[in-house]
Amino acid sequence: MPPHKSHNKPVKQAVPHESASKHVTGEAVYVDDILVNRQLLVGRVVYSPHAHARIKSFDLSAARCVPGVHAVLSYKDIPGHNQMGPVVKDEVCLAENEVVCVGQAMFLIAAETEDQAREAERLIRIEYEHLPTILTIDEAIAQNSFLGPSRTMQRGNPDQELQKAQHRIKGELRTGAQEHWYLESQVCLCILGEGREMNVFSSTQHPSETQALIAEVLGIPKNEVVVEIRRMGGAFGGKETQANHTACWTALLCNATRRPVKIRLFRDDDMKMTGKRHRFLSRYEVGFDDEGNLLAATFELNSDGGCAADLSFAILERAMLHADNAYYIPNVSVLARVCKTNLPSNTAFRGFGGPQGMALIEHVIDRVARFLHQDPLEIRHKNFYGIDSRNVTHYGETVEHNRLHIIYEQLVASSEYDERRKAIAAFNNSSEFLKKGMALTPVKFGISFTTTFLNQAGALVNIYKDGTILVNHGGTEMGQGLHTKMQQVAAAEFGVNLDKVKVNATNTSKVPNTSATAASAGADLNGMAVKNAVDTLKSRIAESLAQYWSEQNPDTSTAQHSVHFENDSIVDIEHPARRISFADAMPLMNLRQVSLSATGFYKTPDIGWDKTKGWGKPFHYYAFGMACTEVLVDTLTGHHTILRTDILHDVGDSLNPQIDLGQVEGGYIQGNGWVTTEEIKWDDKGNLLTHSPDTYKIPSVQDIPKDFRVHLLQNVPNPDTIRRSKAVAEPPFMLALSTWLAIKDAVSAVANHAFEPSFSLPATNEVIVLATEDLKKRMRENPPGEAPTQ
Amino acid sequence: MRSSISFVLDGKVVTEDFSKPSVTPTTTVLNYLRSLPTHKGAKEGCAEGDCGACTVVLGELDAGNTIRYKAVDSCLVFLPMIHGKQLITVENLKTEAALHPVQQAMVDTGGSQCGYCTPGIVMSLFALYKNHDHPDRNVIDDALTGNLCRCTGYKPIVEAAARSCIHQGIDSSSNDEIRIAGLLQSIPRHSALIQTSNHTYFQPRTLLEALTLKHQHPKAIIIGGSTDVALRVTKNHEQLRQLLDVSLVDELHTIRNHSESLSIGSGVVLNEVWSAVEADFPALADMFAVFGSLQIRNLATLGGNIGSASPIGDTLSALIPYNARVVLERVSGRREVELDQFVTGYRKTVRKPDELIVEIILPKPKQRSVVKWYKVSKRKDLDISTVSAGFRIDINDTNQIQNAMLVYGGMAERVKRSSSAEAFLQGKPWTRETIEATMPLIDNDFNPISDARGSKEFRRIVARNLLLKFWDDTRKETNGAAA
Repeated sequence: MPPHKSHNKPVKQAVPHESASKHVTGEAVYVDDILVNRQLLVGRVVYSPHAHARIKSFDLSAARCVPGVHAVLSYKDIPGHNQMGPVVKDEVCLAENEVVCVGQAMFLIAAETEDQAREAERLIRIEYEHLPTILTIDEAIAQNSFLGPSRTMQRGNPDQELQKAQHRIKGELRTGAQEHWYLESQVCLCILGEGREMNVFSSTQHPSETQALIAEVLGIPKNEVVVEIRRMGGAFGGKETQANHTACWTALLCNATRRPVKIRLFRDDDMKMTGKRHRFLSRYEVGFDDEGNLLAATFELNSDGGCAADLSFAILERAMLHADNAYYIPNVSVLARVCKTNLPSNTAFRGFGGPQGMALIEHVIDRVARFLHQDPLEIRHKNFYGIDSRNVTHYGETVEHNRLHIIYEQLVASSEYDERRKAIAAFNNSSEFLKKGMALTPVKFGISFTTTFLNQAGALVNIYKDGTILVNHGGTEMGQGLHTKMQQVAAAEFGVNLDKVKVNATNTSKVPNTSATAASAGADLNGMAVKNAVDTLKSRIAESLAQYWSEQNPDTSTAQHSVHFENDSIVDIEHPARRISFADAMPLMNLRQVSLSATGFYKTPDIGWDKTKGWGKPFHYYAFGMACTEVLVDTLTGHHTILRTDILHDVGDSLNPQIDLGQVEGGYIQGNGWVTTEEIKWDDKGNLLTHSPDTYKIPSVQDIPKDFRVHLLQNVPNPDTIRRSKAVAEPPFMLALSTWLAIKDAVSAVANHAFEPSFSLPATNEVIVLATEDLKKRMRENPPGEAPTQ
Repeated sequence: MRSSISFVLDGKVVTEDFSKPSVTPTTTVLNYLRSLPTHKGAKEGCAEGDCGACTVVLGELDAGNTIRYKAVDSCLVFLPMIHGKQLITVENLKTEAALHPVQQAMVDTGGSQCGYCTPGIVMSLFALYKNHDHPDRNVIDDALTGNLCRCTGYKPIVEAAARSCIHQGIDSSSNDEIRIAGLLQSIPRHSALIQTSNHTYFQPRTLLEALTLKHQHPKAIIIGGSTDVALRVTKNHEQLRQLLDVSLVDELHTIRNHSESLSIGSGVVLNEVWSAVEADFPALADMFAVFGSLQIRNLATLGGNIGSASPIGDTLSALIPYNARVVLERVSGRREVELDQFVTGYRKTVRKPDELIVEIILPKPKQRSVVKWYKVSKRKDLDISTVSAGFRIDINDTNQIQNAMLVYGGMAERVKRSSSAEAFLQGKPWTRETIEATMPLIDNDFNPISDARGSKEFRRIVARNLLLKFWDDTRKETNGAAA
């Protein structure tokens, strides 16, 4: 095959994903593809079939006798701590005396074949005593079952201002859970080194935490554990903490059997055992004037954390910090709490609470507009954060470099919003069962971990004597193109061609103590760390070359600051004849005893956040975007079609427009799944009913907009980030709220927008059909003309 | 009698004799490939044919000894079923010099992000490349419906399809096709009996052999396309001890077009049935347009979908309004059963244990009949019906309903007609008033359940709404006779 196309300007170019040619040929190696010797054992996790029960007794003796079975482990066989909680230590690795959800791990089996492992599982005898369960947010609230204390944030005096407002409406909104449905289910392979060494290949977004938890469950120091991940087959937050579980279980079996062990969760088991996006029950009261200006709001957010804390508090916090979305509300209070239920612990998922907070305020705006018989877009525009005033959020951060207005102006024009709004009204007047709807919604998303210390990253950059460069950094590749961007950054900083730079598999022995690749901050943080390492190397090389050239030319010495890196060469710009190719310079550096390996580090400057006061600057900056979606809904069947979507999204100066557009498109479609067809259901015993793609429906190719126009906002460099770029990843997910509200707009047309439809998220065809029935009933009871909006 | 299987992989004939315990007759093609060090490209995403990450392409000789390429889900195919076929995997497409055009287009458009679904997508695109030139968006969408991608939002993948499938199917492998066809022809096609410690796998070549085996082994599980049976292995981990694979029986693969009817062999795969029925049975074509995915329709057979007698089997609710008949045969003779009478309960039929479904007969509809079929599912494509409905009305010149047939799937333990609504409609004018008076009657005939796909209430409302939708759709087609 020919080598990579030449890219002399490595950044801001739409270069393909660095693994693209491996992806398309099947050569890309995922954890399950790593070749292992014939000693490999299959690991299997035996999990609880009950949502809440006391384990009265268990007997593993028969299971241990199955031929080919090498280990059957219970919590009693854990050499270290029986604990996997990432933040709060409230999650056991294997159940002890009690199980608190269906899917909770109880025992581990290692066998030569999967059939043997399943046979052993069948022979395990367990006696349970059933305990009462809490399976819904409503039950949890009624029984005061919460994880941790509630949180509040407040600005102004919302209670008093609500009383004074011309109009007030209150209500509640339910948003559903969402399964990550990474194509590659949770997987880990452990191979023993010598002594206590444990080599771990884990599909994890957070290798350092995986390493730490394995060390803790095995009772060994962290320097005995190496975690490596080349790439994940998708993660979306689902492997931020919950990859640790599979990794710990695999390590326990590997340690016990002294043989390589792999656990790859079967799809249905993965769906039953792992956490999801938190479902929320949110309540609100909002005050506004005749013009639709928001004056005051009180929000109550109740999330379903499941049986343990996991990242629920940080997710709740981000929901609170995004309950304003793009809107200035002078008086706001947010009360929020995490419900404790007997379901698997819910976890990070793209947006991390942001979608739930934004869904609430977008729902509120939509209601206000219907109440005032105005186009929701008018109300949105009216309430956008201002440029110079009305620009401080309810937690005290000023919305700087506000792109809302410029995006709004461009998108309203390019989407032909006003003309299409008229056409839709005309269509709806002449069509009884098919209805069209449209919505244009904004996204303002804060970039940084709200747990401030996590905003740090490390890198290790090596140059070899042939002039090739190996970049190690703390971020992980899950498809988002992080390694491609890091390759581009390193190449651009060194002034070399992209094909000179390889990005290594993420490895805890190369870059230690890293944060998870999460919060959309992977490229921001690691990009700066890589640059920092490259700067160190360039400075060493420049110093040595300046000396070298000065020695060669005693009359006209070379100054270090004149040594530049460009076009695969290093040159003294004051004496351009002094030029050496990058590749030729490296053996010289080696001869001159220059270290060609350097670490880099970065921490985000100027952020600070007082969690207890709920005040400060949690975010380095905001990412902005808007989407306008038009749908056609069959109100008899509830089926919807997206006719057209226009998106304009802000990524600053894009490091790689192709990758960024892919993130925007993919995020929007994934969000569309959350707001339409992806419905999670449990039965009244806490069993997941939608535990396979047979019943859980993520978007297919036929569900994308028939006309899909996606653009990046141009000429908006972001100050103080790597090459003036912006994070992408999470923010576009929330563009999908436009789809949800477009569907609601179409349903609302059934009653000529005279009534507020009963709506929840996702808008499945069932929700659409039931809302339509309800509207028809209300129309019969209150004929048009007499009907109040509320 | 053959006791091994042979197929072409990596340009060579490979023979498996099932002597190793790791490969059994119910080993799926996916697991077989992944057990090889050189074929890790195909991925398991779901093991039930819903995600397509395991998509491979099978090359099969047609009557003229030309190779036909079909994308299939390798997680649903038992290894013996690829006997005599070419198994093409993602590793086989590129040459030393270049990526395959579909691969290069995927690289150029940014069609891969995490890359895990990509090998399957590339194989679907490869089959598309081989079978279509300049495919339109509908053809591209249909080719990709069986491949879920969670990262990209599909736009660049659709673009890659449009950009690359422009060379009349000609690629670097075209020069090797004659050699491969020769290899496939060299593989003996006679009957097989594969016996291992846990399995007996019959693979007869003639209908007489198949019927004789069914007579001798009435409990043997029949495999047509294996899309349903394979789930018992991949999802339920059952040990299927005795299997009767009828996929090589030529007599079951015939389609005969008579003046009054169409006869379709039970072993014809659904994608071919779709082409055969398009002209005379538009409601069936509508059904196939949202049936599973191309990978499924390339495997699943009409006999299999009818025989499994699922309450949500879409072919049943679409075929019954056309008065389809099922031909059952055993060694001692054959009989015809009205499809409407064929299913007796939840996955129960009138088929005797020693009988095989051999043919489905479709009488061509009369002029005054209007037949339509509807499906309500959470996702429009590649989903199982929450409710499906097949409707037929015969209207006379005075806009009176002479005959009505309302067949529902997903509303009962089997596909079932709404008899009270049908009786009420008899003789009534085909008007909205009639429909609105009929809608509540549908409730009398069904007591649906709530499950993962929808609530009881939703099913009831939708069942009524679909009748209204039928009226709305048909009033234009009945010459505006109705108000």
